[in-house]
Amino acid sequence: MGKQIDLLQGTLEILILKAVSLGPLHGYGILLRIQQISGERLEIPQGSFYIALYRIEHKGWLEGEWGESENNRRAKFYRLTTAGNRQLKSETAKWSQMTDVVNTILRATPEQI
Amino acid sequence: MILFAQLRSWWNALFHRTRIDNDIEEELQFHIDAHTQQLIEVGLSPQEARRNAIIEFGRVDTQKEKYRSAIGLQPLHEINGDIRYGLRSLYRNRVVSLVAILSLALGIGATTAIFSVVYDALLHPFPYAGADRIVNPAVIDKAHPQSPTWFALTPSQFENFSKANSLDSVLGFMLNGLTATGSELPEDVQAAYVTSNISSFLGVPAKLGRGIEPFDVAKGRPPSNVVVLTYKYWQSKYGGDSKIVGRTLQLNHENYTIVGVMPRRFAFTQTVSNADVYIPWAPTRSPNLFPWIKLKPGVSLAAANSEFQSFLDEFKRETPKHFPASFQVSVQPINEPYIHQSGPTFALLFASVVLLLLIGCANCSILLLARGESRLHEFAIRSAIGASRFRIVRQLLIESLAIACAGATIGVAASFWLAQLPLQVMPNAYFPQEAAITVNLPILAFSVVLALLTGLLSGIYPALRLSRPNLSQIIQSTSRNAGVKSSKRTLNLLIGSQIALTFLLLGLAGAAITGFLKITSTRLGYDPHNVMVVGIPLKRDTSKNRIARATYIDQVRESAASVPGVISVAVCSRGIPPAPPFNGLKAPFEILGAPSQQEQLAATTLVSPEYFATLKIPLLKGRLWDQSENRRGDFVAVVNQALAQRYWPQGNAIGHQISISGLKDEGAPLSVASPQSSQQRQIIGIVADSRNDGLERPAAPAIYVPYTTFMWDYTQLFIRTANQPLASLKAIRTALHSINPEQRTMTVSDDLEAGLQFQPIWVQQRLFSILFSFFACLALLLSLVGLASTVSFAIAQRTSELGIRMALGAQQSHIVWIVVRTTLITVASGVAIGLLLTLAIEKALRHWTPASFSTPWTLVAVTLLLLTCATIACLLPARRAAHIDPMQTLRCD
Repeated sequence: MGKQIDLLQGTLEILILKAVSLGPLHGYGILLRIQQISGERLEIPQGSFYIALYRIEHKGWLEGEWGESENNRRAKFYRLTTAGNRQLKSETAKWSQMTDVVNTILRATPEQI
Repeated sequence: MILFAQLRSWWNALFHRTRIDNDIEEELQFHIDAHTQQLIEVGLSPQEARRNAIIEFGRVDTQKEKYRSAIGLQPLHEINGDIRYGLRSLYRNRVVSLVAILSLALGIGATTAIFSVVYDALLHPFPYAGADRIVNPAVIDKAHPQSPTWFALTPSQFENFSKANSLDSVLGFMLNGLTATGSELPEDVQAAYVTSNISSFLGVPAKLGRGIEPFDVAKGRPPSNVVVLTYKYWQSKYGGDSKIVGRTLQLNHENYTIVGVMPRRFAFTQTVSNADVYIPWAPTRSPNLFPWIKLKPGVSLAAANSEFQSFLDEFKRETPKHFPASFQVSVQPINEPYIHQSGPTFALLFASVVLLLLIGCANCSILLLARGESRLHEFAIRSAIGASRFRIVRQLLIESLAIACAGATIGVAASFWLAQLPLQVMPNAYFPQEAAITVNLPILAFSVVLALLTGLLSGIYPALRLSRPNLSQIIQSTSRNAGVKSSKRTLNLLIGSQIALTFLLLGLAGAAITGFLKITSTRLGYDPHNVMVVGIPLKRDTSKNRIARATYIDQVRESAASVPGVISVAVCSRGIPPAPPFNGLKAPFEILGAPSQQEQLAATTLVSPEYFATLKIPLLKGRLWDQSENRRGDFVAVVNQALAQRYWPQGNAIGHQISISGLKDEGAPLSVASPQSSQQRQIIGIVADSRNDGLERPAAPAIYVPYTTFMWDYTQLFIRTANQPLASLKAIRTALHSINPEQRTMTVSDDLEAGLQFQPIWVQQRLFSILFSFFACLALLLSLVGLASTVSFAIAQRTSELGIRMALGAQQSHIVWIVVRTTLITVASGVAIGLLLTLAIEKALRHWTPASFSTPWTLVAVTLLLLTCATIACLLPARRAAHIDPMQTLRCD
């Protein structure tokens, strides 16, 4: 499993928000979608996944609603709220800024200093 | 929006727990099922797939817990469980819990009661609008900085003053004694002339009819003759007649229409003197006004003082006699005089109830510790299966808080009753009459804080002690007495301090009672039995005809003396023993030929020569002045023994000359003095000492001079009768009526003997005696319960040991001894510490309660009482130990 990457602290929430922003999903679906988009390179611990999900719902960024799943079972579907959308945007901006900075530092060569 | 979402999610988690639990379960189940399905699709067998899915996911219950911690509700959920468990365990040990609850209830109740009295009766006694912003117009005379005086203003000054920036509004008033005419005998009525803004200024609506209103004094016509009655006057004069409004009251031969009655909780001007009726003020009715000042919100006293100072400096130039020679404005909140009067008393009472509270807490701690010992096993097991120390401490604290809350509930209910006590025991001058004890928010908040504090205080030590069980020892041991050495030491410490504090309270009570007994049995030096003092307001007379006034007073005296049953009548211009004359001010005097650097002070008393016979004060040497000397007023003086001995220890006081500068005629409009009132007087006699400086102090040096030397518009008759003096009052008033139909008398409510009970020190000492004894009894009771339960607990722990000792042949008395030995030693050390504490505090206490003192005998009595009670409290449960059946105890373990 060498190709799998450990999740950075706090990034799970933004991934969940992103996954849900692509269309309402139930919990398991969110998990699958994140793994699928990552090209199966990301292993998400199932225990912490739900904690993150509930925390986000508690904060009001997601809204859950009971509906029918693809195989006709009752499942809770999550939808992004307006506040969640705002949060996703600001977190994404922060994230890319952060990676930019880190990348710049990592690519630094002795000549640049 | 986001906050709203959070609140909703907490709300659901708290109040729709089952639904949320089901939802989570269903969602997680869905997850597991879906995952299983996926694993099957990858090729696992259904059983294998399901097993893997569940393992990967973990327990659903754990997930639920995680859910609660994700939304921040986990601690709440746990505390909920702790509370339910705690209540169950308290209920299991009903007796112990009940005793613990009552221990705290007593302490909390007493503390809340005293707090209520302080809060309601001293800090917020007045029912007026914005009462905390109303101030008395006090100025400090730089010559007598201890006693602030009030300033009065003329109408134009009042008008000017009301424009000051710091004040919101100002109420003017002036008291005046009027005569109610139109009935058989003229009666004294104290009227308060008030400016017409009184209703809006004080904001207290009338009980019947209306109050004084601005339209009562319209410009351009004379003020209307309307009068508003106080509740008290309405009750005493009209028996509370509800149809009184519209009737007429005749005052100084003028008819006034009664337009209203004020409610019971309204006694405005009480700080100065009680009023019976309120009349709209007008310059024709009273030339001057006292201002009651309501400051603007946020204006500090200092800012107000400095602004008013410039106003008053200006006013002083106009009316120099209204102000002291050199003064500083120092307005005071209207409750200040009462705080000054009763504050120290209540500080001490509050300290004593805090002691009681501490004793209650110690008791509760003892019971919790004792009970906790039997739960050590439970805690050991909890901590063995992973409970943190924090969880166990929390559990125990929740239990002690539950006890404290129950205690507080009972205590607060009881405090409402207890708080009425000081108001009933102490007469009016100690509290504003308007004070009422009510249950209000600050007091409830105080008791809630108190409950939390006591819960923590009594619970924290047992909790810390019990939450550190020695695991291996406890779980291995079969008997119940493992690992308790250190808490025995704690128990002893608690009991020792309880006993020491109880000793202190008992000592205080003993000192208060001794002090009270001493005061009630003081040798007064005069005989107050069957004597009454009748105040005689004289007609305002600016003619300065001294002879006429003296003759009139003598006429009044003689007509009173002619009434059957009256033995003797004396004139004494002001002051009623044992209180000092002249409102406590002693006048300076000088001895001819012996000038002194230091000011020599003497209580200067203006009397007629019959004064000494009426009060049965014996003449020791020399003679009293005769009637002609009395009429002249000058040249003679009689001194008391204290003065004679201090300045002429050889006993040759008679014949010396003294002068009293305070008797000089300052030209005040209503007073009149003899030509040489402040000149040399010869000492012609020495009388025995009589209390003249308060009950608690020995007689101060006193000089008696003929009353005709200095007179104003008021005098007093001291009347000795054969029987109860108040019974002769009517006859005396009729006699006065016959010489002057207008002559009224002040209301007399007590004779001189009964009046002693209103002496400040008497009142304070009586209150202390009652309350301290009450608190000390409670403290004693609590300590004894604490003791008894400790001994019982020790016995329960050592049952098997005692059984073995008995089986080996120990005597019953020996068993009792070993059971109570440690406790008795603790008690003895507690008593010793308490004794030292009492002796150490005694000096400080003398400052607060000058009359309280403990004699060695009081302390001996307290020691014996405490030791005896403690021994009994120990022996009662110890007797049970002596009757242990050895066989049974041995079989038990």
